[in-house]
Amino acid sequence: MDENSSARLKRRLLGIVYRIGLFLAMLTICLPGLWIVISSLRPTVEIMAKPPVWIPKEISFDAYVAMFSGIGKGGIPVIEYFRNSLIVSVTSTVIAVAIGMAGGYAFARYRFRSKSSVFLGLMLTRTVPGIALSLPLFFLYVRLGIIDTHFGLILAYVALNVPFTIWLIDGFFRQVPKDLAEAAQIDGCTRWQAFWQVEFPLAGPGIASAAIFAFLTCWNEFALASQLTRSVSAKTLPVGLLDYTAEFTIDWRGMCALAVVMIIPALTLTYIVQKHLVGGLTSGAVKG
Amino acid sequence: MKGFKPSAPFLLLLPAIIVLAAVVVVPLILSLYSSFTPFRLTKPETFFVFVGFRNYLSILSNADFWWAFGRTVLLLTIALNLEMLLGLGLAMLVEKATRGQRILRTLMMFPMMFSPILVGFQFKFMFNDNIGLVNNALQSLGITGDAIPWLIEGHLAFIAISIAEIWSSTAIFAILILAGLLAMPKEPVEAARVDGCTPWQTFRYVTWPFVMPFAYIAMTIRSLDVARAYDIVKIMTDGGPAGRTELLWTLVARTAYSDGRMGMANAMAYFSILLSIAFTVYFFNKLAAARTQIGAEW
Repeated sequence: MDENSSARLKRRLLGIVYRIGLFLAMLTICLPGLWIVISSLRPTVEIMAKPPVWIPKEISFDAYVAMFSGIGKGGIPVIEYFRNSLIVSVTSTVIAVAIGMAGGYAFARYRFRSKSSVFLGLMLTRTVPGIALSLPLFFLYVRLGIIDTHFGLILAYVALNVPFTIWLIDGFFRQVPKDLAEAAQIDGCTRWQAFWQVEFPLAGPGIASAAIFAFLTCWNEFALASQLTRSVSAKTLPVGLLDYTAEFTIDWRGMCALAVVMIIPALTLTYIVQKHLVGGLTSGAVKG
Repeated sequence: MKGFKPSAPFLLLLPAIIVLAAVVVVPLILSLYSSFTPFRLTKPETFFVFVGFRNYLSILSNADFWWAFGRTVLLLTIALNLEMLLGLGLAMLVEKATRGQRILRTLMMFPMMFSPILVGFQFKFMFNDNIGLVNNALQSLGITGDAIPWLIEGHLAFIAISIAEIWSSTAIFAILILAGLLAMPKEPVEAARVDGCTPWQTFRYVTWPFVMPFAYIAMTIRSLDVARAYDIVKIMTDGGPAGRTELLWTLVARTAYSDGRMGMANAMAYFSILLSIAFTVYFFNKLAAARTQIGAEW
């Protein structure tokens, strides 16, 4: 075998190894999710079957129907949980982004003393584990009478999101060249006008993705919500998921169906923002 | 600041500072105070009894606490290192792909969309000894005849939890490192190759230093949120079997809400807060150093 063809063979082998590696990696990533989707669509008998049934024989949407038909029919109040999750997540996202925009702008456009420490200080408030924060909040909320309310949870989530929102929005404002706003100001805009008419539209997509990220954080949060909410009137979806495990037996199919319901909004939103999100987090890591 | 007109950045940061002070700082001060009292939820009057460092002393002499503390640090060490390595590997695999990179990138982000509570549930389902995917597969392939008690035996449960944790967070590393690889100029790599570097040397001395800040960004983001492992453990094993997978956070929750010993739980919570802060400050400094190294504006 001459050198050429052996080199070609080696190259082809490496290519195959690479493809197998990539395939296995992707399989590992996707399989758990796919398994949940499949399990939510098959009858419980099949999930429990021994030996296992790998390929579903029949597909049914019973789990979803049962879930949305209310408490009476053996489901859990998913509609209420869904509504709570939505109210809490949307409200706290709007507030957190408004605060984050002000803070992010300050970091991106002004120089001030001990900027780095202020930034770190803000981030440190985010590191407090949810469960550790829930102890004093629980106590305070009981005293203030806002335990188990939307308001209490919204307040906590705003604080949870502000540091990270500032980080992201800071990154997006940095990507907008300073000269543009300065040019607008020379042309007679006030700083306020320059912000809204020049910088805000340019940083807009980034801010939108920061908003979606904040929304997802609220949507997925569990540690705080599980302690600060008690009843159907304020429980969010992640806490509601535990309703299925409250008994000794677990309704796997129902849980899978609820998992799918939780995932779909998250999936859609993450897909929309993925590009901007990475850009915002890494801006400043590379020059230019 | 008295007598001065408050500066613009101060005014802009004011709302953030007010919210964080009200919802994070003040409650934390309160919890610091209550960690010096024998406060119990069922006995409100105990809130005003001051016992000094008694809670801290009894924690420090409590073996369960040290086990939970050690286990938490072990889990974080294993998880963060493996996530970093796997994320790097994944990012390089995807970067090499010539076709369908956009789809691959989206697939790669898939685990990021799962809330930790869902990750926990999903792996609880997969590792179920009776009907779980893992045991079913192992049995169908004839690797083992018995049902492996994944979540029932202490060590296996710890492994299962680590796998769940790693699965859910590798994506963050992969995405950010990939961003670094894609942003990297191609000339230095080519120059290194022309100068006769082996692929390993090229990676070690050209690619890696460039990608490092991105890895530290990922580390910093992760360390902001290390306590999300609480959700996973809570739903997978709830600290069981017999406390074998108890982490600092689940121990805090149990002491506070099941036993109602708030004072004690707050003292423990302070250890977990310090742990998180240590992680964040460490990586944040690394990040700042790495940024200065490649001359970025900060």
